[in-house]
Amino acid sequence: MRSIPDPVDPRNEPLFPNALIVARREYGEKVGSRLFHLSTALLAALAVLLAFSPIMVRLVDSGSSTRIGVVASDDALADRAIAIMSGVLGSTAGGADAYVFTRAATADAAVGAVVDGSLDAALVAQRAPNGRLSFTFHAGEGVGADRTQLIGVGTLAVAILDWTGSQDLSGGPEFQLPTLDVVAATGPNAGGQPIGGAEYASRRVVGIVFIVLIFITVVIYGMWVAAGVVAEKSSRVMELIVSAASARQLVIGKILGIGAAGLTQFVGILVPALLALALQDRVASFVLGSSESLGASFVALSPGLLVAYLAFFVLGFALYALVYAAAGSLVARPEDLQVIALPLSLVAIGGYLIAIMALSGGGGSIVRLASFVPFWSPFVMLTRLTVSRVEPWEIALAFGLLIATVAAMTSFAVRVYAAGVLLYGQRPGLRSVIGVVRRI
Amino acid sequence: MSLMIDGLSKRFGSVAALDDLTFEVPRGQIFGFLGANGAGKTTTMRIVVGVLDADAGRITWNGADHRSLPRRTWGYLPEERGLYPRMKILDQLVYFAGLYGMPRDEAIREARAWLARFRVPEYADRRAEELSKGNQQKMQLLAASLHGPDVMLMDEPFTGLDPVNVALLREAFLELRDRGKTIIFSTHQMDTVEAMCESVAIIDRGRVVVGGPIREVRRATGRRMIRLSVEGDHRLEWLATIPGARIIRPGIDRSEIELDAGVEPEEILAAAIAHGARVNHFEIADPSLEQVFLDLVGRPLDDEMTLAPAEESAA
Repeated sequence: MRSIPDPVDPRNEPLFPNALIVARREYGEKVGSRLFHLSTALLAALAVLLAFSPIMVRLVDSGSSTRIGVVASDDALADRAIAIMSGVLGSTAGGADAYVFTRAATADAAVGAVVDGSLDAALVAQRAPNGRLSFTFHAGEGVGADRTQLIGVGTLAVAILDWTGSQDLSGGPEFQLPTLDVVAATGPNAGGQPIGGAEYASRRVVGIVFIVLIFITVVIYGMWVAAGVVAEKSSRVMELIVSAASARQLVIGKILGIGAAGLTQFVGILVPALLALALQDRVASFVLGSSESLGASFVALSPGLLVAYLAFFVLGFALYALVYAAAGSLVARPEDLQVIALPLSLVAIGGYLIAIMALSGGGGSIVRLASFVPFWSPFVMLTRLTVSRVEPWEIALAFGLLIATVAAMTSFAVRVYAAGVLLYGQRPGLRSVIGVVRRI
Repeated sequence: MSLMIDGLSKRFGSVAALDDLTFEVPRGQIFGFLGANGAGKTTTMRIVVGVLDADAGRITWNGADHRSLPRRTWGYLPEERGLYPRMKILDQLVYFAGLYGMPRDEAIREARAWLARFRVPEYADRRAEELSKGNQQKMQLLAASLHGPDVMLMDEPFTGLDPVNVALLREAFLELRDRGKTIIFSTHQMDTVEAMCESVAIIDRGRVVVGGPIREVRRATGRRMIRLSVEGDHRLEWLATIPGARIIRPGIDRSEIELDAGVEPEEILAAAIAHGARVNHFEIADPSLEQVFLDLVGRPLDDEMTLAPAEESAA
């Protein structure tokens, strides 16, 4: 079968080994630079601070009260629950004012109060015909895993004392362990499925770390690619290079090399951040007192999520890096790079902001739609995966669209690069960009 | 067995950079590619090595289409040249040779050998930014040629070099030629072309004005020249009486006289003797390439390198 000549690469040269030769040079230059070492240390410090942020928030928040509305199927149970839980939690956790329980008329009214912020949480108690107590804890955003766990202890105390109160001389029903469902009254709970408070708190921390890291990955490493292309143009080595290798080999090699350097830095940032998360409870106990715990922050860090993160990192970086490479080829001077890179950075910032919205449980259909848009899915779908439950077809669609866009963008970026690298002395503007695109 | 450039055309917007450009470069020769700035030399070289595409025309090397040949066939030293500033010279040379498919060990060996030939073996471990511009230029030449291409295309390779480095580069060219390589270079330095090239092409506005073996090109205008030395008379005032003869380069020792077509050199010799002159030297020569360029293109090759006449610029 006769192959069709590629207008950009009529020799049909194989991608390798030249792409690897280019990648090795890019990797060595990047990882060997002092700036790389400095920025890695700085970002690692930031990631550790971020991982410890819940402790700092708790430290600041340690003097505040958690206001909980109590609703029960009968008045006696409501009064008993308020009295017992005030006593138990007031004596064990943070002093008498740490928890303030008040009576609420109905479950809907109590949950509404949590949503509008006038209450931090609502506890709904119900007695089954067999006497078993079941509790539903509607946790607001400010209620962390530790306080949710203490509520669990409180409900057990209520059940025990309620059972003892029901005993008479002839005995009574056997004691039955109460049930406790934790529901996020605010924040993400996709598909109406409740997420436990401990897991929710953990997912938020992990989500913030992931969003920040992937944003840095895309914008900073993407800019490295663009800056590398501009540096080759400004140092006038570009024409030597483009006569020695094809545009496809050069673009993909550069992205591979810088991507690998980015991954190296990423590991350098992530390892201390994960260590910080692992040590969070010990640090919390030391800083906040022996009774304080933040719950296991690794609850949300499932292997599936890590795989998804890696896939979004690779695809997201590839997509943005391709566009940055093409953008870099259109300018000749480093000072012009910001002009042409700004619109692309704004696109990334848009995805970042939507992801932050998703992290807070807001956005609804906008978040859902944005999670399929290829330039945003690395941020938004990743956030949805981190803090809520996503249908498998949604994940498949997001990845499918992203992979197709990366493939199309590879072809487009290589063509722009091939035409753009020989442009010198032209100011970056819409006209020059259109001129290049029309020529390819 | 040659590089054939046949009917090459290329436009950039409304500007025709090349317009049916045709010439042939015999294999194993040093070939001079002459033209003023903007004549189309760089565009031609970029198209030959595959950096740019032509709108029309065909380029073949030994009968094969140039873009079907592997990149290692070509070595290109562009006019806009540079190196990675912070990369060590040896690493850069090995990098470029590697892209052309040269095994690493062989590239290191060749690079060290050529650095030694250029008498700068210590540059291997230096960064490019530590070298002078002239020395960087030599390293760029090595980067473009280390892989042993059949055809070397060099755009203004002598520009910016001091006389010592020009001599070194000339020697390297001759050695590459002796190894069977074909070398094409552009330059404004006519004396270099006349000293080194066996064939040339002079182009203007994207078209070949004249091309071929250098002797034929020099005779293309029909003009002739003589070099004359007369004892005790360097002014040669009697020459003014001969129509079609003029001194173009006066000298105390020897003067160059240009003759229009139809004026025979023997007439000058006869006139000198008739005026009682004692002739020390009489040589019939072809016009210089510079003169050929002026005659055929209508302006000097380095026109843009000189100031316009005062009244013209004032206007």
